[in-house]
Amino acid sequence: MSDEPAHPVLALDETVHQRIRLGILTVLAETAECAFTTLRDQLQLSDGNLSRHLRVLEEAQLVEIRKGYEGRKPCTWLKLTRQGGAALKQELAALEQLVARLRATDSLR
Amino acid sequence: MTTPATTADPGAMLDEVRRLREQARDRAHAGAWFPVAMLAALLLASIALYRVPFAQTYVHSDDLHLWAGLPVAQRSATASYLFWFLGTPATIALIGAWYRWRARRVGIRVPWRWFAITALGALAALAVIAAMPQDRPAPDPDMIIAVEQVTLLQELRWGLLTPLMPIALAIIALGWVERSRALVFAGAWVGVITYWQSSQGLGELPGWLTWILGGFQGPALGGSLTLFGLNRPGPTLILMALPLLVFAVVRAVRTRGGLR
Repeated sequence: MSDEPAHPVLALDETVHQRIRLGILTVLAETAECAFTTLRDQLQLSDGNLSRHLRVLEEAQLVEIRKGYEGRKPCTWLKLTRQGGAALKQELAALEQLVARLRATDSLR
Repeated sequence: MTTPATTADPGAMLDEVRRLREQARDRAHAGAWFPVAMLAALLLASIALYRVPFAQTYVHSDDLHLWAGLPVAQRSATASYLFWFLGTPATIALIGAWYRWRARRVGIRVPWRWFAITALGALAALAVIAAMPQDRPAPDPDMIIAVEQVTLLQELRWGLLTPLMPIALAIIALGWVERSRALVFAGAWVGVITYWQSSQGLGELPGWLTWILGGFQGPALGGSLTLFGLNRPGPTLILMALPLLVFAVVRAVRTRGGLR
């Protein structure tokens, strides 16, 4: 067995690492709740594309989806779960470690 | 495309996440100017509660319930009490309405309920504590109270049991909700000035402070500070509200009213 620490790539979570899903979690981390349409516009996605990724995140219990009404208008509110916040933090830490490792490798060359 | 750009380059991905986070944060907290402006307006409006807000006078008040906020003669204890105990909840209700309206318009919710719970909880606690019976010293016929007679507990009571303290706490809670260090500082600023002015008397400096300011020499007899009119309620409240006003104006201009 090697004593070398595990490569940071191994800490990346496939569900979170996907770029659109990472974007969704990043935006939701900054709000208490965000409307579906607001998130869609901010990430410049189509309704279908965003829904597909939200379903993946909801199944992984990283995002909560609440459907309601604002007056007579239906509105879908999205919220990051505690698990989602932790997963995002872990993903960003792994990415930072990966960047640091790549820089260290480059400086050795 | 505004989503994190590429999986091949983790550095670029991190940069993109940071940019997206900043953008989302700016948008989420663009509406902070309104509650801050309302709280500043409440502080400034309370100037009207004092009998002589801007001139230096030696008006004595026998009123033990100085509900105006600062320990100086007020126009009417009832008016002061109603101002804070109706005005603060009304201001918070207005702020709540703003956040709800903005959430519908912009599609972003801020956890403002924590701010409301802090403000109303602190106000309720003040009402309950102030209503509790306490042993009051017999009135001194010469109206002179020796410094030695004031215990730390009395000083804490005078410094904390004022309707300005729930406002200071509310501003700090708002700073946490809006993730703004500047707002937390503004709340601490209001709290420190309130505690100092209420526990020592308007513009009065404690003995230990004058001793330090005097280069650790001479007797620690205390003193009076008249700089910026800090021995009068009007200028004191303006100075308290100043960081809030600056924050509200800068945020409103930068975010163009926070409605996008």
